[in-house]
Amino acid sequence: MMPARIGHLPITNENPLGVSWHDSAWIPSLNPSNIMDYFSERSNPFFDRTCNNEVVKMQRLSMDQLQNMTGLEYILLHVQEPILYVIRKQHRHSPMQTIPLADYYIIAGIVYQAPDLASVLNSRLLSAVHHLQCSFEETMSYSKYHPSKGYWWDFKANKPGVSPFNSGQSAPKEVANTTKEEPSTLFQRQRVDMLLAELVRQFPLPVLSTTSNQTNGVSVKTENSNDKTDKAGEGNVNNITIKQEPIDPMHSEMTNGNMRQHVEIKQEIKQENMKPPPEKKPRNL
Amino acid sequence: MERPIIRYEKIDFLGEGQFATVYKAKDIKTDKIVAVKKIKIGSRFEAQDGINRTALREIKLLQELQHINLIGLLDVFGQKSNVSLVFDFMDTDLEIIVKDNNIVLTPGNVKAYMIMTLKGLEYLHQNWILHRDLKPNNLLINREGILKIGDFGLAKAFGSPTRINTHQVVTRWYRSPELLFGARQYGTGVDMWAIGCILAELLLRVPFLPGESDLDQLSRIFQVFGTPTEEVWPGMKSLTDYVKFKHFPAQSLRHIFSAASDDLIDLLETLLALYPPRRCDCTQALLMPYFSNKPPPTVGPKLPMPSNIPKLESEKPSLKRKLLDNLDGGSLAKKLQF
Repeated sequence: MMPARIGHLPITNENPLGVSWHDSAWIPSLNPSNIMDYFSERSNPFFDRTCNNEVVKMQRLSMDQLQNMTGLEYILLHVQEPILYVIRKQHRHSPMQTIPLADYYIIAGIVYQAPDLASVLNSRLLSAVHHLQCSFEETMSYSKYHPSKGYWWDFKANKPGVSPFNSGQSAPKEVANTTKEEPSTLFQRQRVDMLLAELVRQFPLPVLSTTSNQTNGVSVKTENSNDKTDKAGEGNVNNITIKQEPIDPMHSEMTNGNMRQHVEIKQEIKQENMKPPPEKKPRNL
Repeated sequence: MERPIIRYEKIDFLGEGQFATVYKAKDIKTDKIVAVKKIKIGSRFEAQDGINRTALREIKLLQELQHINLIGLLDVFGQKSNVSLVFDFMDTDLEIIVKDNNIVLTPGNVKAYMIMTLKGLEYLHQNWILHRDLKPNNLLINREGILKIGDFGLAKAFGSPTRINTHQVVTRWYRSPELLFGARQYGTGVDMWAIGCILAELLLRVPFLPGESDLDQLSRIFQVFGTPTEEVWPGMKSLTDYVKFKHFPAQSLRHIFSAASDDLIDLLETLLALYPPRRCDCTQALLMPYFSNKPPPTVGPKLPMPSNIPKLESEKPSLKRKLLDNLDGGSLAKKLQF
């Protein structure tokens, strides 16, 4: 029903929700008594000039006649002086029965069409998906790989080669840098960890030694440990070990969950590595 | 001579014109309500042909014309030295409807009136007759919503190349520019221009070009359509009463008829073309997209009537039709089962 309504608009093939209209000559003098005249300006793309309002106006009749007509009409629905007016386009079937077709709001003299629910949902979903995609692309750009070290996060694009997994000497510089950046919340990072872990689980890295797997897991967690240092403000402590993480009483559950997942991944990968021979055997048999 | 007097029973006095008095009467023979137009004898000059000339025209022409959208001349009878014409009884006319502010003329109504007028006029023109006095007042409407062109007092056969016509025809507001410039040879264009003015009046609910004199009429026309040049209207300057006018730019009809659809504007523009040969005739007009596009013309019984005239009960036929439709549907379904 909703898309059909938009389709019925005589405006153009252009989406009316992306259009606004105003006539700056009118704007200073707008008031409830002339707002309908403003809206019925010929250049207003939202105004269908074959509507009953215009028929009555052209015939120089009283606007009260609108009640007795059937068909398309516009009414002033709501006024919030001095800046907001809402105009409704509706189809009148009888003096008592009307079906609203669209609402238009005039805010500070600029006319917009109020979107219908479907359009709002569509738009919000689209932007959410878009931002998600952007965040994934952004995240991807920070992941680094080196054959000898495996995968790790590098959030300092200007400092290639420096990873949080490096020795304690480079630590102070890193911390100084991280404090300048907008810190992401622990929750966000853990979510990302979880999602990445999920991805890793879905698409297991091919032929990786157990050590490299571990490195991967560890590196992700070091990220976590960095979070904590940021939050706690104990910038100097860099070489936090994996075991320390679950100790955090606030997020122990989450971290545990994370841990478990990581463990699971390792197990799974190991299992997968282990399993195929037994599976294959029955199949071959 | 006695029989016709008894045949029509006077019910009511309807109106009095320059040449005639009109009564509402009942035809005892058929029980129909009719309008009896009693022609005044008038002055000796007017009656030099033995009968008033306008009445003679009406009798002459209408006897041979039969069309749903032309007023029907039912009978003519004489009584003493008077002549009376018996017409279909019509409840109202378009002028009354246009002036009634309680009535809104929807696009569908306007289309219905235009179709009926054009059909009647098309028939007239096909029979080589010009009406020459079209105005809302002469478009009569009965309570069934049927429009009939009336008052043939100025109607005349046209088309003879040698015949000189008078240009003092058509009520001024509906008079075409060539008549105002004194053209003596003209054709269906004079009626088409009048139709255009009537259509405009249906849209605006006031006379479109209410000139106060013939010159004012022309200047009003040019103020809307622009002063014509020799290119727009070849031969304009050779017309008898040609006067040079101040230059006016043409206005957009879209701005004057703000609620009119584009196809309606197209029709108006061809009906009100300044150069007479460019004006469309009835047949061309009826073929224009306006008449086949939405909205459809209002059906007769649904057309508005002034409040003092009771509307016909329109529900009954529609109900009947519904029942018939249902019956048809039922029988169709049965057929499908076999």
